[in-house]
Amino acid sequence: MKKLLLGCACVLLVASVAPVLAHHSPAAFDRTKEVKLVGTVKEFRWQNPHTWIEVIVPDEKGKEVVWGVELTSPTYLIRAGWKSNIIKPGDKVTVVVNPVRSGEPSGIFRSLTLADGRVLTERPARLGTPDSK
Amino acid sequence: MVTSTVRRLALAFMAAACAGVGVAAQAPTQPQTATPQTPVSALAPSNLAKARPKAPFDLTGNWFIDNSPGIQGWLFGPASIPKLKPEAQKHRDAYLQAIKEGKVYRDDIGQCWPAGVPIIMTRVWPIAMIQLPTAIYMISEFMNSLRVVYLDGRKHTDPDIVVRTFNGESVGHWEGDTLVVETKNFTADPHHWIDQGVPASDELRIIERIKMINNGNALEITMTLTDPKNWDGEWTGTRRWNRVNDIDVEEVECLPDLNEHLQSTSSKVHVR
Repeated sequence: MKKLLLGCACVLLVASVAPVLAHHSPAAFDRTKEVKLVGTVKEFRWQNPHTWIEVIVPDEKGKEVVWGVELTSPTYLIRAGWKSNIIKPGDKVTVVVNPVRSGEPSGIFRSLTLADGRVLTERPARLGTPDSK
Repeated sequence: MVTSTVRRLALAFMAAACAGVGVAAQAPTQPQTATPQTPVSALAPSNLAKARPKAPFDLTGNWFIDNSPGIQGWLFGPASIPKLKPEAQKHRDAYLQAIKEGKVYRDDIGQCWPAGVPIIMTRVWPIAMIQLPTAIYMISEFMNSLRVVYLDGRKHTDPDIVVRTFNGESVGHWEGDTLVVETKNFTADPHHWIDQGVPASDELRIIERIKMINNGNALEITMTLTDPKNWDGEWTGTRRWNRVNDIDVEEVECLPDLNEHLQSTSSKVHVR
């Protein structure tokens, strides 16, 4: 059953979050909260500076709400195992996000679970450390 | 009589205006002004071929800021913020209030305004640098912003004709093993920031002292900022950039429909 899990998914994150490449301030997102979105992919756009996913998620009253999920750029997603065709409209997915502070249906990506159980995350935007040469 | 003369002149003028070409011949002689000498392009073969001392190092490569010290280690963060002028302090206070309320203050980059210098030099976007004898071409992946550091001995452009920009105009020279870059002629556009809540003005001036360290695999860039419209004295910070050989800088555009799909950029959390 598709369900938007809110309260039980709100977890205080203790670990610091590595910055992702963004063209806007990350301060809009509440990094202390996670929202688990169980729904259907409406659109997936593989592009710079942000890849994004729109997910249709029924709210508690059954009304369909489109959540916008922002990810880093493909450069870093590729390094975390992503491909441009890894999801498509109609796919059933579970996405975990840090939501915007205003309560609007929007968040920054934390993880994606595909229908076959595979879990994808982002690679932190940290390049140029000695081991990357 | 006078009226008919005026009418004839007016008709003659209109006819000349319609003819276009005849206007210049009929127009009164304009005062002659000296044509400013056009500088030789940094890419002109004659400029590239000039004899110059060998550069102490070559910045050509892809670079990524060392963000291992944490966010305040690479942003122009509040830790060392100078005493701001009253108008700038208003922005800073509004920014701090926004943070307190869980909001975002004047995030103009998120609305596709150019980040400009110094922000492109303090963010986790890679920069491709190509060094020639006459100039260093920097392309930040941050909206593919172009920054050119001229090394061909030119001076900054006359303020009367310069086109002011978000990246400013950069002119560099070598002092021993250090590249010293002076950047000024910044825009007066109010969307240009040093960082969130700290405005930049057209009097911003930045001196960068760039050293190549770690056997050519890292840059140490010490930036000293002055902007008498916005703060007293100098504001200095040092950032490191590491050479990265496993990425290329790609095309990154702030497309008109980008933000339609990034709801956070239009969220109520923003203070405009």
